[in-house]
Amino acid sequence: MSTTLMMSDLVNESLDDNSSSQPEIIRLENIFKVYGTGETEVKALNNINLVINQGEYCAIMGPSGSGKSTAMNIIGCLDRPTGGSYYLDNVNVADMNDQQLAQIRNLKLGFVFQQFHLLTQLTALENVMLPMVYAGVKPAERKARAVEALIRVGLEKRLHNKPNQLSGGQQQRVAIARAIVNAPVVLLADEPTGALDSRTTQEVLDIFSELNSTGITVIMVTHETEVASQTKRIVWFRDGEVVHSHLTPEELHHLVSG
Amino acid sequence: MNFVETLQMAGKTLLANKLRTALTMLGIIIGNSSVIVMVGLGEGGQRYVAQQLNSLGPNVLFVIPGNEETQRVSRDVIKTLVYADAEAIETQVPTIKATAAELNSRQVVTYKNKNTNINIIGTTPNFLKVRNFEVATGRFFNDLDMKRSNQVVVIGSKLKQKMFGNQNPISQQIKIKNSSFQIIGVLTEKGSNLGVDYDSSALVPIMTSANRIVGKTSPYGLEVTYITVSAQDADSVDAAKFQITNLLRRRHKLVGENDFTIRTQKDALQIVGQISNALSLMLVGIAGISLFVGGIGIMNIMLVSVTERTQEIGLRKAIGATQQDILLQFIIEAIIVSVIGGLAGTGIGIGGLGLISSLGIIDASTSLSSIFMTVGISGAIGLFFGVFPARRAAQLDPIVALRSA
Repeated sequence: MSTTLMMSDLVNESLDDNSSSQPEIIRLENIFKVYGTGETEVKALNNINLVINQGEYCAIMGPSGSGKSTAMNIIGCLDRPTGGSYYLDNVNVADMNDQQLAQIRNLKLGFVFQQFHLLTQLTALENVMLPMVYAGVKPAERKARAVEALIRVGLEKRLHNKPNQLSGGQQQRVAIARAIVNAPVVLLADEPTGALDSRTTQEVLDIFSELNSTGITVIMVTHETEVASQTKRIVWFRDGEVVHSHLTPEELHHLVSG
Repeated sequence: MNFVETLQMAGKTLLANKLRTALTMLGIIIGNSSVIVMVGLGEGGQRYVAQQLNSLGPNVLFVIPGNEETQRVSRDVIKTLVYADAEAIETQVPTIKATAAELNSRQVVTYKNKNTNINIIGTTPNFLKVRNFEVATGRFFNDLDMKRSNQVVVIGSKLKQKMFGNQNPISQQIKIKNSSFQIIGVLTEKGSNLGVDYDSSALVPIMTSANRIVGKTSPYGLEVTYITVSAQDADSVDAAKFQITNLLRRRHKLVGENDFTIRTQKDALQIVGQISNALSLMLVGIAGISLFVGGIGIMNIMLVSVTERTQEIGLRKAIGATQQDILLQFIIEAIIVSVIGGLAGTGIGIGGLGLISSLGIIDASTSLSSIFMTVGISGAIGLFFGVFPARRAAQLDPIVALRSA
């Protein structure tokens, strides 16, 4: 990779960068995440600034230990930053308590994990209904919305199957249905294709693209270039810092091959 | 997330892990069934004793020779009560209904080639009235039999069965200590009480007993084993006790301690009640320990369950479960396990009591209140021992939980 490209990118990264007309949905301001103290202190995130606008389809990449997972956990409100401000949908969530964060995760965020994390004793439908149970949605409405979400991921014929009766790709689609059922502002996916073969990977990515085309913001952590190149924007992490915040798939290709 | 849904969710989880759930319940089932059985046995025992005492006859007082001290230290049979004392009580104490003196001894009884060693009770016709006995066939001896020292005998139902089978024993002659006695009646079955099996005993007129069987005479008159007195009603028992005490003290010209003891059913009931209460308490204590151990079992398996389900907990938190949601879920699981285990244990306990009763060991049964109590207690145990694992679960860090693949 060329040094100039990197430098120019760093310079370009500014919080006033509002090239898109869409409202911003995620704003990380001077985020630090420090583990340990004194000599054993490790800065997992070192002064991160990042803005993601509504409707973006964004991949977070970077080598192991670059801080991308830590950043994802903070964006997902599963973890709190040591310092800095995090505005999710224009609300500062950095100082919220556990209960408030649980509510944010429930209503504003949708999670998709590498290991699917479906509850084995529940059917696909019941798994998708689960976030609405915690949201206090009325039972009748829950079912209708869960069915709708499962139709969106093409599983209308698998409503009453348990996870062990579904293929890996189908399980991940159930997980996606679960993630979108509460109409979140952001869909977060942590290595969503890591446990899938290439054919089902494409199925899942097609669903993400389709969801993104209907306006859902999608942020995905991945280490697979082919996966990342299907998104519209790539954020590159290294050593706890954002080194590229607006790579296009073509630039990513240059970066990786260069 | 409301309570009913948490309940449904917990039920589903428990059903999905049937073996684990069953093992967790086992401790509570054992604990609870033993509580029910122990309490049932205790209550059955109390009832049994109360029944025994009531079957002695209503409002009965026993006048026994010797006071508590002499009863304890004396090696010989104490001889301070005589037949005349009984007659005096009968005629001079206003609050009593009837009096019957008893002169008891163990003797060999022979009929044809059968013989048996039984209790021979020498008494008066009042015995039936005082002790609440009835004659099944034939008649009881009367005043005339007494006056003439007739060699007549009334036998208990078991003795009749043993010696005569289904034959009619009336008018048959049996030998008691080598004297011939004519059987004139058979008592109705009463069961044994206070260690005396009246059904296997034979009753003869007290004078006949003194003259022909025991052969005791003293300078003071006919010594008796004890005197039974029935008071007019429950309220006059204490008055009768007081009056009899005064009368006997006067008759025996006592200045110091009494040389006799009066026991009432109430005293006996009280003593028995104290003993059986202490016994029940001990049994409940033992059962309580097993319930406690059951609770520890719940806690252990739930802690394992929390570890096993770390990912599930992490996922639930990631999709919006609060700490309270998780806490509630695990506590409710613990309560369901312990309450269902409690109910199952109660069922098994009641079944066990039924078995014990049907085997005729003791008529043991349990009351509704103790069932509610044990089920309540097991629920509380589930709550108490469920809190610690549930807190562990609730406080799990979702990131750590999700990554513990």
